[in-house]
Amino acid sequence: MTAITNGGSEHRRVALFGGVYSNTHALAAMLDDARGRDVEAVHCLGDVGGFGPHPDRAVALLRQSGAVTIQGNYDAAVAGGAPDCGCGYTDPRDNHFARLSYAYTLSRTSTEHRRWLGALPPSLRLRLGPLTAVLCHGSPRAVSEFLWESTTPDGMLAAMLDEARADVLVCTHSGLKWHRALGDGRHAVNVGVIGRPENDGRTDVWYTVLTSTGDGLDVEFVPVAYDHETLAREMEAEGLPGEFVETVRTGWWTTCLEVLPAKERARGRW
Amino acid sequence: MIATVPLRQLSAVWIQVTGTWCNLQCTHCINASGPVDPWLAPMAVADVERHVEDAARVGAREVYFTGGEPFLHPQMLELLAHALERLPTTVLTNGTLITERVADRLAELAARSRYSLEIRVSLDDPDREANDRVRGRGAFDRALVAIARLHQRGLPAILTATDLGTSARDLYERLRGLLAERDVAKPRIKLLPLFPVGRTASGGTPPDATELEGVDLGGLQCADSRTVTADGIYACPILAGLPQARLTAAGDAVSLSHEACRVCVETGASCRNG
Repeated sequence: MTAITNGGSEHRRVALFGGVYSNTHALAAMLDDARGRDVEAVHCLGDVGGFGPHPDRAVALLRQSGAVTIQGNYDAAVAGGAPDCGCGYTDPRDNHFARLSYAYTLSRTSTEHRRWLGALPPSLRLRLGPLTAVLCHGSPRAVSEFLWESTTPDGMLAAMLDEARADVLVCTHSGLKWHRALGDGRHAVNVGVIGRPENDGRTDVWYTVLTSTGDGLDVEFVPVAYDHETLAREMEAEGLPGEFVETVRTGWWTTCLEVLPAKERARGRW
Repeated sequence: MIATVPLRQLSAVWIQVTGTWCNLQCTHCINASGPVDPWLAPMAVADVERHVEDAARVGAREVYFTGGEPFLHPQMLELLAHALERLPTTVLTNGTLITERVADRLAELAARSRYSLEIRVSLDDPDREANDRVRGRGAFDRALVAIARLHQRGLPAILTATDLGTSARDLYERLRGLLAERDVAKPRIKLLPLFPVGRTASGGTPPDATELEGVDLGGLQCADSRTVTADGIYACPILAGLPQARLTAAGDAVSLSHEACRVCVETGASCRNG
Protein backbone atom coordinates (compact mmCIF):
# COMPACT_ATOMS: atom_id res chain seq x y z
CA MET A 1 0.00 0.00 0.00
CA THR A 2 1.47 3.32 -0.98
CA ALA A 3 1.00 6.45 1.03
CA ILE A 4 -2.67 7.25 1.40
CA THR A 5 -3.68 10.52 -0.11
CA ASN A 6 -6.45 12.82 0.87
CA GLY A 7 -10.02 12.68 -0.44
CA GLY A 8 -10.85 14.24 -3.75
CA SER A 9 -7.84 12.60 -5.37
CA GLU A 10 -7.73 10.37 -8.42
CA HIS A 11 -7.11 6.64 -8.24
CA ARG A 12 -7.18 3.45 -10.22
CA ARG A 13 -7.81 1.09 -7.30
CA VAL A 14 -9.01 1.77 -3.78
CA ALA A 15 -10.11 -0.27 -0.78
CA LEU A 16 -13.13 0.84 1.19
CA PHE A 17 -14.69 -0.39 4.40
CA GLY A 18 -17.21 0.73 7.00
CA GLY A 19 -18.45 -0.17 10.46
CA VAL A 20 -15.34 -1.01 12.46
CA TYR A 21 -17.52 -1.29 15.57
CA SER A 22 -14.42 -1.45 17.79
CA ASN A 23 -13.32 -4.69 16.12
CA THR A 24 -9.58 -3.98 16.17
CA HIS A 25 -8.74 -7.56 15.20
CA ALA A 26 -10.75 -7.42 11.99
CA LEU A 27 -9.42 -3.93 11.21
CA ALA A 28 -5.83 -5.16 11.50
CA ALA A 29 -6.55 -8.21 9.33
CA MET A 30 -8.34 -6.12 6.72
CA LEU A 31 -5.51 -3.57 6.51
CA ASP A 32 -3.02 -6.41 6.05
CA ASP A 33 -5.13 -7.92 3.30
CA ALA A 34 -5.52 -4.59 1.49
CA ARG A 35 -1.76 -4.06 1.51
CA GLY A 36 -1.42 -7.16 -0.67
CA ARG A 37 -3.91 -5.95 -3.26
CA ASP A 38 -2.10 -3.07 -4.88
CA VAL A 39 -4.56 -0.45 -3.71
CA GLU A 40 -3.60 3.19 -3.90
CA ALA A 41 -5.75 4.34 -1.02
CA VAL A 42 -7.87 2.99 1.82
CA HIS A 43 -11.08 4.72 2.90
CA CYS A 44 -13.16 4.14 6.00
CA LEU A 45 -16.80 5.18 5.71
CA GLY A 46 -17.39 5.64 9.42
CA ASP A 47 -18.80 4.09 12.61
CA VAL A 48 -15.52 3.30 14.31
CA GLY A 49 -17.07 2.44 17.69
CA GLY A 50 -20.04 0.51 19.05
CA PHE A 51 -20.72 -3.22 19.54
CA GLY A 52 -17.16 -4.38 20.32
CA PRO A 53 -14.65 -3.91 23.17
CA HIS A 54 -12.01 -1.25 23.86
CA PRO A 55 -13.08 1.42 21.38
CA ASP A 56 -9.88 3.43 21.85
CA ARG A 57 -7.80 0.61 20.38
CA ALA A 58 -9.72 0.66 17.09
CA VAL A 59 -9.56 4.45 16.80
CA ALA A 60 -5.81 4.37 17.47
CA LEU A 61 -5.16 1.71 14.83
CA LEU A 62 -7.37 3.48 12.30
CA ARG A 63 -5.57 6.80 12.83
CA GLN A 64 -2.19 5.10 12.65
CA SER A 65 -3.15 3.38 9.37
CA GLY A 66 -3.72 6.66 7.59
CA ALA A 67 -7.02 5.45 6.13
CA VAL A 68 -9.02 8.45 4.95
CA THR A 69 -12.09 8.38 7.17
CA ILE A 70 -15.49 9.99 6.99
CA GLN A 71 -17.88 10.40 9.87
CA GLY A 72 -20.61 7.90 10.67
CA ASN A 73 -23.60 8.53 12.90
CA TYR A 74 -21.88 6.70 15.74
CA ASP A 75 -18.76 8.83 15.40
CA ALA A 76 -20.80 12.03 15.47
CA ALA A 77 -22.74 10.81 18.52
CA VAL A 78 -19.65 9.76 20.47
CA ALA A 79 -17.80 12.96 19.54
CA GLY A 80 -20.64 15.16 20.71
CA GLY A 81 -21.72 13.07 23.69
CA ALA A 82 -25.21 12.75 22.18
CA PRO A 83 -27.92 11.04 24.27
CA ASP A 84 -28.00 8.05 21.89
CA CYS A 85 -26.18 6.57 18.91
CA GLY A 86 -28.55 8.08 16.36
CA CYS A 87 -29.29 4.71 14.76
CA GLY A 88 -32.98 5.56 14.88
CA TYR A 89 -34.31 2.26 16.19
CA THR A 90 -37.94 2.17 17.23
CA ASP A 91 -38.06 -1.43 18.40
CA PRO A 92 -37.73 -1.55 22.22
CA ARG A 93 -35.44 -4.59 22.18
CA ASP A 94 -33.08 -3.04 19.64
CA ASN A 95 -33.06 0.18 21.62
CA HIS A 96 -32.16 -1.73 24.77
CA PHE A 97 -29.03 -3.18 23.16
CA ALA A 98 -28.19 0.05 21.36
CA ARG A 99 -28.21 1.90 24.70
CA LEU A 100 -25.87 -0.63 26.35
CA SER A 101 -23.46 -0.49 23.44
CA TYR A 102 -23.48 3.29 23.22
CA ALA A 103 -22.99 3.87 26.96
CA TYR A 104 -20.04 1.46 26.96
CA THR A 105 -18.41 3.05 23.90
CA LEU A 106 -18.96 6.64 24.99
CA SER A 107 -17.45 6.08 28.44
CA ARG A 108 -14.37 4.37 27.02
CA THR A 109 -13.45 6.70 24.16
CA SER A 110 -10.77 9.22 25.09
CA THR A 111 -11.30 12.94 24.78
CA GLU A 112 -8.56 13.12 22.17
CA HIS A 113 -10.18 10.39 20.05
CA ARG A 114 -13.58 12.00 20.42
CA ARG A 115 -12.12 15.24 19.13
CA TRP A 116 -10.69 13.39 16.12
CA LEU A 117 -14.02 11.67 15.41
CA GLY A 118 -15.80 15.01 15.66
CA ALA A 119 -13.56 16.59 13.02
CA LEU A 120 -14.15 13.91 10.36
CA PRO A 121 -15.90 15.07 7.18
CA PRO A 122 -19.43 13.78 6.47
CA SER A 123 -18.62 12.81 2.89
CA LEU A 124 -15.85 12.85 0.31
CA ARG A 125 -15.52 12.75 -3.43
CA LEU A 126 -13.09 10.55 -5.27
CA ARG A 127 -12.07 10.13 -8.91
CA LEU A 128 -11.89 6.55 -10.17
CA GLY A 129 -10.62 6.92 -13.69
CA PRO A 130 -13.27 8.93 -15.49
CA LEU A 131 -15.90 8.24 -12.80
CA THR A 132 -16.70 10.48 -9.86
CA ALA A 133 -17.58 8.64 -6.67
CA VAL A 134 -19.35 10.17 -3.69
CA LEU A 135 -18.42 8.46 -0.42
CA CYS A 136 -20.92 8.70 2.42
CA HIS A 137 -21.88 6.80 5.53
CA GLY A 138 -25.64 6.16 5.24
CA SER A 139 -26.72 7.94 2.07
CA PRO A 140 -25.75 11.21 0.41
CA ARG A 141 -28.92 12.65 1.93
CA ALA A 142 -28.67 11.49 5.55
CA VAL A 143 -25.96 9.93 7.67
CA SER A 144 -28.45 7.52 9.29
CA GLU A 145 -30.36 6.47 6.18
CA PHE A 146 -30.11 2.74 5.53
CA LEU A 147 -29.51 1.76 1.94
CA TRP A 148 -30.47 -1.93 1.79
CA GLU A 149 -30.31 -3.80 -1.47
CA SER A 150 -33.99 -4.76 -1.36
CA THR A 151 -35.38 -1.34 -0.41
CA THR A 152 -33.29 0.96 -2.57
CA PRO A 153 -34.95 1.22 -5.97
CA ASP A 154 -33.12 2.23 -9.12
CA GLY A 155 -35.00 5.52 -9.46
CA MET A 156 -34.03 6.58 -5.96
CA LEU A 157 -30.37 5.79 -6.63
CA ALA A 158 -30.49 7.74 -9.87
CA ALA A 159 -32.01 10.73 -8.04
CA MET A 160 -29.34 10.60 -5.34
CA LEU A 161 -26.56 10.40 -7.92
CA ASP A 162 -28.09 13.32 -9.82
CA GLU A 163 -28.22 15.41 -6.64
CA ALA A 164 -24.62 14.47 -5.75
CA ARG A 165 -23.44 15.00 -9.34
CA ALA A 166 -21.65 11.66 -9.14
CA ASP A 167 -21.40 8.41 -11.10
CA VAL A 168 -20.79 6.08 -8.17
CA LEU A 169 -22.52 6.13 -4.78
CA VAL A 170 -20.47 4.40 -2.07
CA CYS A 171 -21.97 3.83 1.38
CA THR A 172 -22.02 1.52 4.42
CA HIS A 173 -24.17 1.85 7.62
CA SER A 174 -26.55 -1.07 7.04
CA GLY A 175 -23.96 -3.81 7.61
CA LEU A 176 -24.70 -5.75 4.41
CA LYS A 177 -22.70 -5.30 1.21
CA TRP A 178 -24.24 -5.04 -2.25
CA HIS A 179 -23.57 -3.60 -5.66
CA ARG A 180 -25.95 -2.50 -8.40
CA ALA A 181 -25.00 -1.30 -11.84
CA LEU A 182 -27.64 1.10 -13.13
CA GLY A 183 -28.24 0.74 -16.84
CA ASP A 184 -26.60 4.07 -17.61
CA GLY A 185 -23.05 3.24 -16.50
CA ARG A 186 -23.56 4.50 -12.96
CA HIS A 187 -23.16 2.36 -9.84
CA ALA A 188 -24.19 2.06 -6.22
CA VAL A 189 -22.01 0.10 -3.81
CA ASN A 190 -22.59 -0.65 -0.17
CA VAL A 191 -19.14 -1.70 1.02
CA GLY A 192 -20.38 -3.70 4.01
CA VAL A 193 -18.78 -3.55 7.45
CA ILE A 194 -15.72 -5.12 9.03
CA GLY A 195 -16.99 -4.94 12.61
CA ARG A 196 -19.46 -7.78 12.60
CA PRO A 197 -20.32 -10.63 10.25
CA GLU A 198 -22.94 -10.45 7.54
CA ASN A 199 -25.80 -12.42 9.12
CA ASP A 200 -24.94 -15.36 6.86
CA GLY A 201 -23.62 -17.92 9.31
CA ARG A 202 -19.98 -17.11 8.47
CA THR A 203 -17.62 -15.46 10.93
CA ASP A 204 -15.80 -13.53 8.17
CA VAL A 205 -16.31 -9.82 7.62
CA TRP A 206 -16.16 -7.96 4.31
CA TYR A 207 -14.58 -4.95 2.65
CA THR A 208 -14.59 -3.73 -0.93
CA VAL A 209 -12.03 -3.04 -3.63
CA LEU A 210 -13.07 -0.70 -6.44
CA THR A 211 -10.99 -0.71 -9.62
CA SER A 212 -11.36 1.63 -12.56
CA THR A 213 -11.45 -0.40 -15.78
CA GLY A 214 -11.11 2.11 -18.58
CA ASP A 215 -14.53 3.70 -18.60
CA GLY A 216 -16.08 1.16 -16.27
CA LEU A 217 -15.84 -0.03 -12.68
CA ASP A 218 -14.94 -3.40 -11.19
CA VAL A 219 -16.42 -4.11 -7.76
CA GLU A 220 -14.83 -6.84 -5.67
CA PHE A 221 -16.10 -7.85 -2.24
CA VAL A 222 -13.32 -9.33 -0.14
CA PRO A 223 -13.94 -11.62 2.84
CA VAL A 224 -11.64 -11.21 5.84
CA ALA A 225 -11.05 -13.99 8.33
CA TYR A 226 -9.76 -12.74 11.67
CA ASP A 227 -9.31 -13.99 15.21
CA HIS A 228 -12.96 -13.75 16.13
CA GLU A 229 -12.57 -16.00 19.17
CA THR A 230 -10.17 -13.56 20.79
CA LEU A 231 -12.63 -10.77 20.05
CA ALA A 232 -15.45 -12.82 21.59
CA ARG A 233 -13.41 -13.43 24.77
CA GLU A 234 -12.54 -9.76 25.08
CA MET A 235 -16.21 -8.85 24.72
CA GLU A 236 -17.12 -11.31 27.46
CA ALA A 237 -14.38 -9.96 29.72
CA GLU A 238 -15.76 -6.45 29.20
CA GLY A 239 -19.26 -7.55 30.13
CA LEU A 240 -20.76 -6.80 26.73
CA PRO A 241 -24.09 -8.54 25.98
CA GLY A 242 -23.96 -12.28 25.29
CA GLU A 243 -26.14 -11.62 22.26
CA PHE A 244 -23.32 -9.59 20.65
CA VAL A 245 -20.78 -12.31 21.42
CA GLU A 246 -23.04 -14.93 19.88
CA THR A 247 -23.09 -12.93 16.63
CA VAL A 248 -19.29 -12.83 16.53
CA ARG A 249 -19.06 -16.59 17.09
CA THR A 250 -21.90 -17.74 14.84
CA GLY A 251 -22.13 -15.14 12.08
CA TRP A 252 -25.85 -14.64 12.73
CA TRP A 253 -27.26 -11.30 13.88
CA THR A 254 -29.14 -11.50 17.17
CA THR A 255 -29.86 -7.79 17.69
CA CYS A 256 -30.63 -4.70 15.59
CA LEU A 257 -32.83 -7.00 13.51
CA GLU A 258 -35.74 -4.57 13.38
CA VAL A 259 -34.18 -2.47 10.65
CA LEU A 260 -33.76 -5.38 8.24
CA PRO A 261 -36.26 -5.44 5.37
CA ALA A 262 -38.15 -8.67 4.66
CA LYS A 263 -35.73 -10.05 2.10
CA GLU A 264 -32.62 -9.48 4.19
CA ARG A 265 -34.37 -10.64 7.36
CA ALA A 266 -35.50 -13.85 5.72
CA ARG A 267 -31.90 -14.82 4.98
CA GLY A 268 -30.78 -14.73 8.62
CA ARG A 269 -31.41 -17.23 11.39
CA TRP A 270 -33.34 -14.86 13.69
CA MET B 1 -51.92 29.91 13.61
CA ILE B 2 -51.58 26.64 11.70
CA ALA B 3 -48.10 25.47 10.72
CA THR B 4 -47.32 24.20 7.23
CA VAL B 5 -44.87 21.51 6.16
CA PRO B 6 -43.30 21.66 2.70
CA LEU B 7 -42.58 18.46 0.76
CA ARG B 8 -38.85 17.77 1.22
CA GLN B 9 -38.82 14.97 -1.32
CA LEU B 10 -41.32 12.28 -2.24
CA SER B 11 -40.12 9.11 -0.54
CA ALA B 12 -43.22 7.07 0.32
CA VAL B 13 -46.45 6.84 -1.69
CA TRP B 14 -49.48 5.37 0.04
CA ILE B 15 -52.22 3.93 -2.12
CA GLN B 16 -55.65 3.59 -0.56
CA VAL B 17 -56.40 0.79 -2.95
CA THR B 18 -59.73 -0.32 -1.52
CA GLY B 19 -60.75 3.09 -0.22
CA THR B 20 -62.55 2.48 3.05
CA TRP B 21 -63.94 -0.90 2.04
CA CYS B 22 -63.09 -3.47 4.71
CA ASN B 23 -64.39 -6.81 5.93
CA LEU B 24 -63.82 -5.69 9.53
CA GLN B 25 -65.19 -2.66 11.34
CA CYS B 26 -62.65 -1.89 14.06
CA THR B 27 -63.75 0.51 16.76
CA HIS B 28 -60.55 2.58 16.48
CA CYS B 29 -60.29 2.72 12.67
CA ILE B 30 -58.59 5.90 11.51
CA ASN B 31 -60.81 6.21 8.47
CA ALA B 32 -63.97 4.49 9.68
CA SER B 33 -63.64 1.67 7.16
CA GLY B 34 -66.20 -1.09 7.03
CA PRO B 35 -68.11 -3.53 4.86
CA VAL B 36 -71.16 -1.37 4.17
CA ASP B 37 -71.21 1.64 1.83
CA PRO B 38 -67.52 2.66 2.02
CA TRP B 39 -67.37 6.47 1.95
CA LEU B 40 -64.16 6.33 -0.07
CA ALA B 41 -64.28 4.15 -3.19
CA PRO B 42 -61.76 1.47 -4.22
CA MET B 43 -59.31 2.50 -6.94
CA ALA B 44 -59.16 1.45 -10.57
CA VAL B 45 -56.22 -0.70 -11.66
CA ALA B 46 -55.01 1.79 -14.26
CA ASP B 47 -54.94 4.62 -11.71
CA VAL B 48 -52.99 2.56 -9.20
CA GLU B 49 -50.46 1.51 -11.82
CA ARG B 50 -50.02 5.09 -12.96
CA HIS B 51 -49.31 6.28 -9.41
CA VAL B 52 -46.78 3.49 -8.85
CA GLU B 53 -45.02 4.29 -12.12
CA ASP B 54 -44.95 8.01 -11.26
CA ALA B 55 -43.51 7.24 -7.82
CA ALA B 56 -40.74 5.10 -9.29
CA ARG B 57 -39.96 7.73 -11.90
CA VAL B 58 -39.49 10.57 -9.42
CA GLY B 59 -37.18 8.48 -7.25
CA ALA B 60 -39.47 7.50 -4.40
CA ARG B 61 -38.20 4.81 -2.06
CA GLU B 62 -41.32 2.72 -1.59
CA VAL B 63 -45.03 2.23 -2.00
CA TYR B 64 -47.64 1.14 0.53
CA PHE B 65 -51.02 -0.42 -0.18
CA THR B 66 -53.68 0.28 2.40
CA GLY B 67 -57.44 0.70 2.71
CA GLY B 68 -59.79 -0.61 3.98
CA GLU B 69 -58.57 -4.13 3.49
CA PRO B 70 -56.33 -4.29 0.39
CA PHE B 71 -56.92 -7.98 -0.28
CA LEU B 72 -60.59 -7.26 -0.96
CA HIS B 73 -59.44 -5.65 -4.21
CA PRO B 74 -60.08 -8.25 -6.94
CA GLN B 75 -56.81 -7.41 -8.72
CA MET B 76 -54.65 -7.02 -5.62
CA LEU B 77 -52.14 -9.73 -6.49
CA GLU B 78 -51.70 -8.35 -10.00
CA LEU B 79 -51.20 -4.86 -8.56
CA LEU B 80 -48.53 -6.21 -6.23
CA ALA B 81 -46.73 -7.92 -9.11
CA HIS B 82 -46.75 -4.63 -11.03
CA ALA B 83 -45.52 -2.60 -8.05
CA LEU B 84 -42.77 -5.06 -7.08
CA GLU B 85 -41.19 -4.74 -10.49
CA ARG B 86 -40.64 -1.07 -9.71
CA LEU B 87 -40.47 -0.37 -6.00
CA PRO B 88 -40.18 -1.95 -2.55
CA THR B 89 -43.79 -2.62 -1.61
CA THR B 90 -45.74 -2.98 1.63
CA VAL B 91 -49.31 -4.11 2.23
CA LEU B 92 -51.24 -3.22 5.39
CA THR B 93 -53.78 -5.96 5.98
CA ASN B 94 -55.88 -7.52 8.71
CA GLY B 95 -54.70 -10.92 7.50
CA THR B 96 -58.15 -12.46 7.30
CA LEU B 97 -58.00 -13.05 3.55
CA ILE B 98 -54.50 -14.56 3.49
CA THR B 99 -55.52 -18.10 2.68
CA GLU B 100 -52.99 -20.86 1.95
CA ARG B 101 -53.32 -20.04 -1.74
CA VAL B 102 -52.83 -16.29 -1.24
CA ALA B 103 -49.84 -16.95 1.04
CA ASP B 104 -48.31 -19.16 -1.67
CA ARG B 105 -48.79 -16.44 -4.24
CA LEU B 106 -47.34 -13.73 -1.99
CA ALA B 107 -44.27 -15.87 -1.31
CA GLU B 108 -43.83 -16.36 -5.07
CA LEU B 109 -44.12 -12.63 -5.72
CA ALA B 110 -41.63 -11.87 -2.93
CA ALA B 111 -39.12 -14.40 -4.23
CA ARG B 112 -39.39 -13.17 -7.81
CA SER B 113 -38.83 -9.47 -7.03
CA ARG B 114 -35.46 -7.91 -6.29
CA TYR B 115 -37.31 -5.57 -3.93
CA SER B 116 -38.77 -6.48 -0.55
CA LEU B 117 -42.45 -7.28 -0.16
CA GLU B 118 -43.56 -6.42 3.35
CA ILE B 119 -46.85 -7.72 4.71
CA ARG B 120 -48.02 -5.88 7.81
CA VAL B 121 -50.73 -7.73 9.69
CA SER B 122 -52.75 -5.75 12.22
CA LEU B 123 -53.38 -7.12 15.69
CA ASP B 124 -53.83 -4.72 18.56
CA ASP B 125 -53.91 -6.64 21.80
CA PRO B 126 -52.11 -9.81 22.91
CA ASP B 127 -55.29 -10.82 24.69
CA ARG B 128 -57.71 -12.52 22.28
CA GLU B 129 -60.89 -11.15 23.83
CA ALA B 130 -59.56 -7.63 24.22
CA ASN B 131 -58.35 -7.66 20.62
CA ASP B 132 -61.60 -9.01 19.23
CA ARG B 133 -63.67 -6.46 21.16
CA VAL B 134 -61.91 -3.84 19.05
CA ARG B 135 -61.35 -5.69 15.79
CA GLY B 136 -64.24 -8.12 15.70
CA ARG B 137 -64.75 -11.75 16.60
CA GLY B 138 -62.18 -14.11 15.11
CA ALA B 139 -59.80 -11.31 14.06
CA PHE B 140 -57.15 -12.34 16.58
CA ASP B 141 -56.83 -15.95 15.47
CA ARG B 142 -57.04 -15.16 11.78
CA ALA B 143 -54.29 -12.54 12.03
CA LEU B 144 -51.97 -14.94 13.81
CA VAL B 145 -52.72 -17.72 11.32
CA ALA B 146 -51.81 -15.33 8.50
CA ILE B 147 -48.50 -14.37 10.14
CA ALA B 148 -47.63 -18.03 10.72
CA ARG B 149 -48.57 -18.97 7.15
CA LEU B 150 -46.33 -16.28 5.70
CA HIS B 151 -43.51 -17.09 8.09
CA GLN B 152 -43.62 -20.75 7.08
CA ARG B 153 -43.10 -19.63 3.49
CA GLY B 154 -40.04 -17.52 4.31
CA LEU B 155 -41.93 -14.24 4.30
CA PRO B 156 -41.46 -12.62 7.71
CA ALA B 157 -44.58 -10.52 8.23
CA ILE B 158 -44.68 -7.51 10.55
CA LEU B 159 -47.27 -7.58 13.31
CA THR B 160 -48.58 -4.02 13.54
CA ALA B 161 -50.31 -3.00 16.74
CA THR B 162 -52.02 0.22 17.65
CA ASP B 163 -51.28 0.85 21.30
CA LEU B 164 -54.78 1.21 22.68
CA GLY B 165 -53.54 1.55 26.22
CA THR B 166 -55.70 -1.40 27.26
CA SER B 167 -52.83 -3.82 27.67
CA ALA B 168 -51.62 -2.98 31.16
CA ARG B 169 -47.86 -3.20 30.56
CA ASP B 170 -45.22 -4.58 28.25
CA LEU B 171 -47.35 -4.64 25.11
CA TYR B 172 -44.25 -5.24 23.04
CA GLU B 173 -42.97 -8.16 25.12
CA ARG B 174 -46.40 -9.78 25.23
CA LEU B 175 -46.72 -9.55 21.46
CA ARG B 176 -43.28 -11.14 21.10
CA GLY B 177 -44.42 -13.94 23.39
CA LEU B 178 -47.51 -14.43 21.28
CA LEU B 179 -45.41 -14.87 18.14
CA ALA B 180 -43.00 -17.21 19.91
CA GLU B 181 -45.96 -19.43 20.89
CA ARG B 182 -46.77 -19.71 17.19
CA ASP B 183 -43.18 -20.72 16.32
CA VAL B 184 -42.48 -17.42 14.58
CA ALA B 185 -38.67 -17.40 14.88
CA LYS B 186 -38.29 -13.98 13.25
CA PRO B 187 -40.69 -11.80 15.22
CA ARG B 188 -41.25 -8.37 13.73
CA ILE B 189 -43.42 -5.87 15.55
CA LYS B 190 -44.40 -2.31 14.80
CA LEU B 191 -46.22 -0.26 17.41
CA LEU B 192 -48.30 2.75 16.47
CA PRO B 193 -49.95 5.30 18.72
CA LEU B 194 -53.71 5.76 18.63
CA PHE B 195 -54.67 8.64 16.36
CA PRO B 196 -57.76 10.72 17.24
CA VAL B 197 -59.39 10.50 13.83
CA GLY B 198 -62.13 8.46 12.20
CA ARG B 199 -64.00 6.45 14.84
CA THR B 200 -61.83 7.85 17.64
CA ALA B 201 -61.90 11.55 16.72
CA SER B 202 -62.11 13.47 19.96
CA GLY B 203 -62.78 17.03 18.82
CA GLY B 204 -59.33 18.19 19.97
CA THR B 205 -57.36 21.05 18.48
CA PRO B 206 -54.48 20.91 16.00
CA PRO B 207 -51.02 21.96 17.16
CA ASP B 208 -50.52 25.72 17.02
CA ALA B 209 -47.51 27.05 15.11
CA THR B 210 -46.18 28.67 18.27
CA GLU B 211 -46.04 25.25 19.96
CA LEU B 212 -43.90 23.95 17.13
CA GLU B 213 -40.96 26.30 17.42
CA GLY B 214 -37.81 24.21 17.51
CA VAL B 215 -39.61 21.07 16.25
CA ASP B 216 -38.02 19.51 13.16
CA LEU B 217 -41.06 19.51 10.87
CA GLY B 218 -38.90 17.95 8.14
CA GLY B 219 -38.98 14.75 10.19
CA LEU B 220 -42.78 14.44 9.94
CA GLN B 221 -44.02 11.90 7.45
CA CYS B 222 -45.98 14.57 5.55
CA ALA B 223 -42.57 16.04 4.62
CA ASP B 224 -41.77 13.02 2.45
CA SER B 225 -44.97 11.03 1.92
CA ARG B 226 -48.24 11.42 0.07
CA THR B 227 -51.39 9.31 -0.08
CA VAL B 228 -53.45 8.76 -3.21
CA THR B 229 -57.08 7.72 -3.17
CA ALA B 230 -59.87 7.38 -5.70
CA ASP B 231 -60.77 11.01 -5.07
CA GLY B 232 -57.40 12.74 -4.90
CA ILE B 233 -54.08 13.27 -3.21
CA TYR B 234 -53.74 13.68 0.53
CA ALA B 235 -51.09 14.65 3.02
CA CYS B 236 -50.71 11.30 4.78
CA PRO B 237 -52.42 7.93 5.29
CA ILE B 238 -53.96 9.02 8.59
CA LEU B 239 -55.86 11.94 7.05
CA ALA B 240 -56.62 10.45 3.63
CA GLY B 241 -60.11 11.38 2.51
CA LEU B 242 -60.52 14.34 4.87
CA PRO B 243 -61.25 17.62 3.07
CA GLN B 244 -58.72 19.67 5.06
CA ALA B 245 -55.91 17.26 4.11
CA ARG B 246 -56.67 17.20 0.42
CA LEU B 247 -54.00 18.68 -1.86
CA THR B 248 -54.27 20.15 -5.32
CA ALA B 249 -50.92 18.66 -6.26
CA ALA B 250 -48.50 16.26 -4.55
CA GLY B 251 -45.92 19.02 -4.18
CA ASP B 252 -48.22 21.30 -2.16
CA ALA B 253 -47.23 22.12 1.41
CA VAL B 254 -49.33 20.42 4.08
CA SER B 255 -51.22 22.29 6.81
CA LEU B 256 -50.99 20.68 10.24
CA SER B 257 -54.68 21.41 10.64
CA HIS B 258 -56.03 18.24 12.24
CA GLU B 259 -55.97 17.19 15.88
CA ALA B 260 -54.24 13.95 14.78
CA CYS B 261 -51.26 16.03 13.58
CA ARG B 262 -50.53 16.58 17.25
CA VAL B 263 -49.78 12.86 17.68
CA CYS B 264 -47.15 12.87 14.92
CA VAL B 265 -45.53 16.00 16.32
CA GLU B 266 -45.50 14.74 19.90
CA THR B 267 -44.54 11.11 19.32
CA GLY B 268 -42.46 11.36 16.14
CA ALA B 269 -44.56 8.46 14.86
CA SER B 270 -44.42 7.35 11.26
CA CYS B 271 -46.77 4.92 9.59
CA ARG B 272 -43.84 3.66 7.51
CA ASN B 273 -42.05 0.41 8.31
CA GLY B 274 -39.39 0.55 11.02
